[in-house]
Amino acid sequence: MIIAENLTRVYDMGKVTVHALRGVSLTIQKGEFVGIMGASGSGKSTLLHLLGLLDKPTEGKIVLGGIDVRTLNERQRTRFRLKRLGYVFQDYALVPELTVEENVYLTSMIRGTSKEEYQAQTFQILDRIGLSDRLTHKHNELSGGQQQRVAIARAMVNKPEILFADEPCANLDSESSRNVLDLFKQINKEMAQTIVMVSHEDWHMEYFDRVIILRDGQIVSDGPPPEELLEKACKYK
Amino acid sequence: MLLDLRVSFFLALRGILRGSRGSLYLTVLIIAMVFTNMIFMPSIILGFIKVAEDQIITYQTGNILISPHEDELYIEDVFSLLEKINRIPGVLRASAHYGTGVTLRYKGNSLGSTVVAIKPDDERLVTDVYRKMADGDYLADGENDEIIIGIQTSGHKDESLDMGPTLGYLKAGDPVTVEYTNGVRKVYHVKGIIETGSYYADQGAYITWDELESVFGRKVDYATDIIIKTDPDSYEPEVKTQIYRFGIREKVQTWQDILEEAMGRAVQNFAMLNSITIVVSLIIAIVVLFIVIMIKTLNSRRQIGVLKALGVEKSIIIHNYVFQVLILTTLGIIVGTTLVESMVAILTVYPFQFPDGEVTPVVATSDLINNTIMLYIASFIAGYIPAWRVASEDILTAMRS
Ligand SMILES: Nc1ncnc2c1ncn2[C@@H]1O[C@H](COP(=O)(O)OP(=O)(O)OP(=O)(O)O)[C@@H](O)[C@H]1O
Ligand SMILES: [Mg+2]
Repeated sequence: MIIAENLTRVYDMGKVTVHALRGVSLTIQKGEFVGIMGASGSGKSTLLHLLGLLDKPTEGKIVLGGIDVRTLNERQRTRFRLKRLGYVFQDYALVPELTVEENVYLTSMIRGTSKEEYQAQTFQILDRIGLSDRLTHKHNELSGGQQQRVAIARAMVNKPEILFADEPCANLDSESSRNVLDLFKQINKEMAQTIVMVSHEDWHMEYFDRVIILRDGQIVSDGPPPEELLEKACKYK
Repeated sequence: MLLDLRVSFFLALRGILRGSRGSLYLTVLIIAMVFTNMIFMPSIILGFIKVAEDQIITYQTGNILISPHEDELYIEDVFSLLEKINRIPGVLRASAHYGTGVTLRYKGNSLGSTVVAIKPDDERLVTDVYRKMADGDYLADGENDEIIIGIQTSGHKDESLDMGPTLGYLKAGDPVTVEYTNGVRKVYHVKGIIETGSYYADQGAYITWDELESVFGRKVDYATDIIIKTDPDSYEPEVKTQIYRFGIREKVQTWQDILEEAMGRAVQNFAMLNSITIVVSLIIAIVVLFIVIMIKTLNSRRQIGVLKALGVEKSIIIHNYVFQVLILTTLGIIVGTTLVESMVAILTVYPFQFPDGEVTPVVATSDLINNTIMLYIASFIAGYIPAWRVASEDILTAMRS
């Protein structure tokens, strides 16, 4: 569960200060698939980074899995991300010198999982996303969609409490995007995986249980995907 | 910690094996060259010093040299002194020398030189000159009218091999005229020609002690120096101390003392030269490795940011690059050592020819170890700093790059 209270994030750039978030409060329950949407510059990434412990709020409180994250030092935040959170980024960001399976189990190695165990888990998850025949391939031997699925496997191998994704489909064509979103939906349904995903494509809404829309660093709407927007999005695609 | 290091090593191995081949080979080659440079130069210099040592001991002074006190011209009562010295444990044999200035004449050539009178039976036990007769034979005790002459004085058949003025290709069996400072002028039969490879020994000329006495017309019981050969496992400074116990006023020097006196300055200069070579080599190694790792890390900034976002500790990332430089350095040292060893092997078969003999490089194990350690320390620093700089970057800043 995620609880955020009155989050603000101010970037002090010398002459100008940018208020990226202005008092955002929200609660996300376990098993929710939440989409964070809004125009460019509305603060989506900023919010995701704060919730995912990649950045610290200027003000406000975040409680993840019952822990007030302000009490964690830098090392503990790193451990927390390693053990309890998962991330998928826009550009996959696989380690180029590692094979598909090595990319997936790298963090498991650091967590101290035994070799048999992480190899089995890796195979299982890659099998599930249909890439078990690519275990020893390098990232440049895969398509963008395949790379992003490997990145999802990397984030999921640990069964994190929360999976964060910042525009994971931004670099993909619509078919690959659907693949990725279907995969998210499947993980969300079958494993009750909490997913917080940033997107600015209206048609992604049909996958979300709940859509939070930001404008100028504030939440302007929060709830199930609005019917009228959904319809428009479906027509559009 | 151990687990983290294992992960760093895992990443480092993959980084090297699956990174750019060209850059790997070039970096290893440069480190190998740096290492070769650090080892080879000193090994040649050591080779030089070794040759000088060997020649001094084998052909010149033996292990210990006794020369007259500075206020005197001769070592008096030399034969009873020899007897005493020969009884010291650790002394194999002592041999007296009487050197005197002469003019040598052969077929219209004349040359100022020094003739040394020896007791051949003693001398054989002290120097190896008797083994180095290029032509004819060595002297024998009691022989008169015979002389043996070094090839740099007699002259080579091929004049280009002569390093100074000579008598013009004098051979065994030829007559040579010797004029002493006391006015005696005498024709000798050349019994043999000496060729040792040591310029000092190859300039000399030797007659027997009996011959000297006949030239002087009296017994000669004093010498210009005494040279001593010690047991291979005796310690020269100890023998030197024993000799001083006789209460003699003469100057006693071990070959180390002589070398120190003759080459001390040169050895210091060599040491200086070595240090400069090593410092320059290390700076090259540091700069190259620093640049290699800096490029690697700067190209991977985003990558590193993402790894940190995924919960990978900064130290794992830094150690990854440190391991990479250490692996590169290890490969470089292996290649470098192989190179040095092959060059040493080749130069052992085909040594450098120098006036004072053949020089083969001598690789000191201590140099090998010291330079290896220095190179590892240098590469550790060269890897750590750029890796630390990039790994310390804020996650989001790194990811946005
Ligand atoms: N490091 C930063 N320094 C200064 N300003 C920043 C920084 N990061 C974000 N901002 C500003 O904060 C605001 C919100 O940025 P954010 O990246 O959260 O937007 P976003 O909704 O994710 O936009 P997009 O859809 O383009 O990704 C923007 O005005 C942005 O310029
Ligand atoms: Mg964004």
